[in-house]
Amino acid sequence: MIETLVIFLCCAGMLLFLGGMIGILRLPDAYTRLHMAGMLDTLGLLILLLGLVLYGFLHAPMSLLVQFKILLLWGFVLVTSPTATHAMVDAGVRAGLTPWVQPDAKRRRK
Amino acid sequence: MKKTALLAVILTGALLILSMENFPSWGDVQSPASLHLSRHFIEKSYEQTLTPNLVTAVLGDYRGFDTMLETVVVFTAALACFLVIRLPRDVCTPGLFYYRHTRTGLVVRKHDACELPGENPTFERVDSDWPPHDVVVVSTCRMVIPFIQLFGLYVVAHGHYSPGGGFQGGVIFAASYVLLAVSHDLRTLVHRLNERVTHLLSAAGVLLFFGVGLFGMAMGLNFLDYGALEGVLGMSLASGHSLGILLVEIGVGMTVTAALVIIFKLLSSRGTVTEGL
Repeated sequence: MIETLVIFLCCAGMLLFLGGMIGILRLPDAYTRLHMAGMLDTLGLLILLLGLVLYGFLHAPMSLLVQFKILLLWGFVLVTSPTATHAMVDAGVRAGLTPWVQPDAKRRRK
Repeated sequence: MKKTALLAVILTGALLILSMENFPSWGDVQSPASLHLSRHFIEKSYEQTLTPNLVTAVLGDYRGFDTMLETVVVFTAALACFLVIRLPRDVCTPGLFYYRHTRTGLVVRKHDACELPGENPTFERVDSDWPPHDVVVVSTCRMVIPFIQLFGLYVVAHGHYSPGGGFQGGVIFAASYVLLAVSHDLRTLVHRLNERVTHLLSAAGVLLFFGVGLFGMAMGLNFLDYGALEGVLGMSLASGHSLGILLVEIGVGMTVTAALVIIFKLLSSRGTVTEGL
């Protein structure tokens, strides 16, 4: 049961990483790319770390300290990674970077 | 002048590449390092240095001089930055300088700062290109910085038994101060850790390292022989070695932290250490 959960969590994390990577490469401007990077760094990494904690719990129950350290890392990433993304987007807005709009939406507005 | 510099760079590079010929190839079993040295360190290092971690034994004990002079290099880098970049305090810096009256919020503008006023309770300095601080970033950094500093201390103190040591811990500790300056402003950092403190700290780290070495000589042993700490406060030989390496790591950490903070302060404020970023 836990085994299945571990596999599911790790695969979900990997999938988010894959999607985020494609997004960083393909999306049109800085804001959307930062959105992808933030998603990948936060959600993907958190799910992956949760899977690792469960895996360690299952296969090496003696090394609880390592699991505890990974959980600490989890909390740290949960707080800092969205803040970093927020700071970058904030800096972009203040520097006057205009967000990308869909081309035909722009035409419609005219 | 430029051509001479280019010539010197090319000559040095050619010499370095030529001297690579004499190196043993990667992973060569016949090289002296694999024949005698590795086995010697693996077998003998514990009984010779009483340090359980092999890497720490090599870095702190066998290569103590190397580590000490690396610390001196970091110190010299900070000193060179200070001497090259720092503007003298009595130079008139042209530009706009803003002061806010704390009671009324009125902002006063000055066109030069031939004499920068010190601490004045009624007026508060404001950066000339001052963006209002973002509340999310400020509060997150305020929450995270103590943990980063704790982790830096952990890395310094655990240099014996796990990866880490003075250099890495010092860099982490300095990064927390850089984060403070980025999230608040440079004046907050200078207020917490002014120039006098950082300069004294960087010199004190090197002196601590030298002091541990000289203490060994004073006890009649070799320079940097941590065995000299045996018997101080009734310690055994092993804990004397441990304490010696810990003191040395603390010295390295102090120097690295202070040097990085000095370099950051100078570079981000173009040598004035008043405002920047």
